[in-house]
Amino acid sequence: MTTKVLICDDSNMARKQMSRALPDNWPTEITFAKNGAEAIEIIQAGGQELMFLDLTMPVMDGYETLEAIRKDDLPIMVIVVSGDIQPEARDRVKKLGAIEFIKKPVDQSKIAAVLTDYGMIGGDDE
Amino acid sequence: MSKLIALTEDERDCYQEITNVAMGQAADQLARLLDVYVVLPIPNVNIIERNEFKMTIKSLEDAPSVSAVCQGFIGAGVAGEALLIFNDSSFSDISQLLKYSQELNTEEELEMLMDVANVLNGACIQGIGKQLDINFSQSHPIILGQHRPISELLDEKHVTWQRTMAIEINYTIEDHNINCDLLLLFTEESVLHMNRLISFLLED
Repeated sequence: MTTKVLICDDSNMARKQMSRALPDNWPTEITFAKNGAEAIEIIQAGGQELMFLDLTMPVMDGYETLEAIRKDDLPIMVIVVSGDIQPEARDRVKKLGAIEFIKKPVDQSKIAAVLTDYGMIGGDDE
Repeated sequence: MSKLIALTEDERDCYQEITNVAMGQAADQLARLLDVYVVLPIPNVNIIERNEFKMTIKSLEDAPSVSAVCQGFIGAGVAGEALLIFNDSSFSDISQLLKYSQELNTEEELEMLMDVANVLNGACIQGIGKQLDINFSQSHPIILGQHRPISELLDEKHVTWQRTMAIEINYTIEDHNINCDLLLLFTEESVLHMNRLISFLLED
């Protein structure tokens, strides 16, 4: 079954790096957003299952995006992917409902481990 | 004849993202030193001409009085300098966070400035180097001046280049009146070399 994945980052390079870091054998349909406001619109349109979310972005940053998701109780799982490695940043996004925090630059094995933990990919076929 | 340096939109985006990761590492170290949360900005990446330097500096910091530290760095094919500019009103809050008992004297301020410069510049430069696979050596930080208008500390006389890549990072600390700007300046030759290094990151 194909998983609908949303990647939200203001950097074109970061969006590409993120999509490349997803497991090769994981069937996905990827949508991109350049900031939180775009992401919220896409989520509201429905169908998205998992979002990889950057924190530092113009227009609507990652924290504001998490707040908006919580406020409207939007049905999406969020993994934050950020260069902001302060412990406080991790605590804050978890309190705002993110299921996981992954630091940049992303690496493929870390992403695979998190997806396995949440049962989104089988651990055996890696 | 040297080629004129320019950045494509993809290259600018790439330097911005590399800086984003590096400054996150620097912020983490400062956050641990001061036990605070550092608010991370979106870094600004620009090619600037010598005659635009004054404007750039002025737009960075409009405080009437600042203190500034400069630190050179060099690695294979890449050289530049880091300028850290402190809004002077930041000092009382920093001294509080570092648990100094009373007002800092000039010498203590200088020591603190050097400490913060070492943490912020060091982590940021090494963070950029690591992503580009360059080992940077850093020179000892040099104080450009304390408690002066920025135009007196830095002007075109300091500038030996015609054109440079400037990366500006404005750090602020949540719930405290602390504000500083880190300006990373890369020589033209360095930018040509770095553009080659990042080309592999930009491949489809």
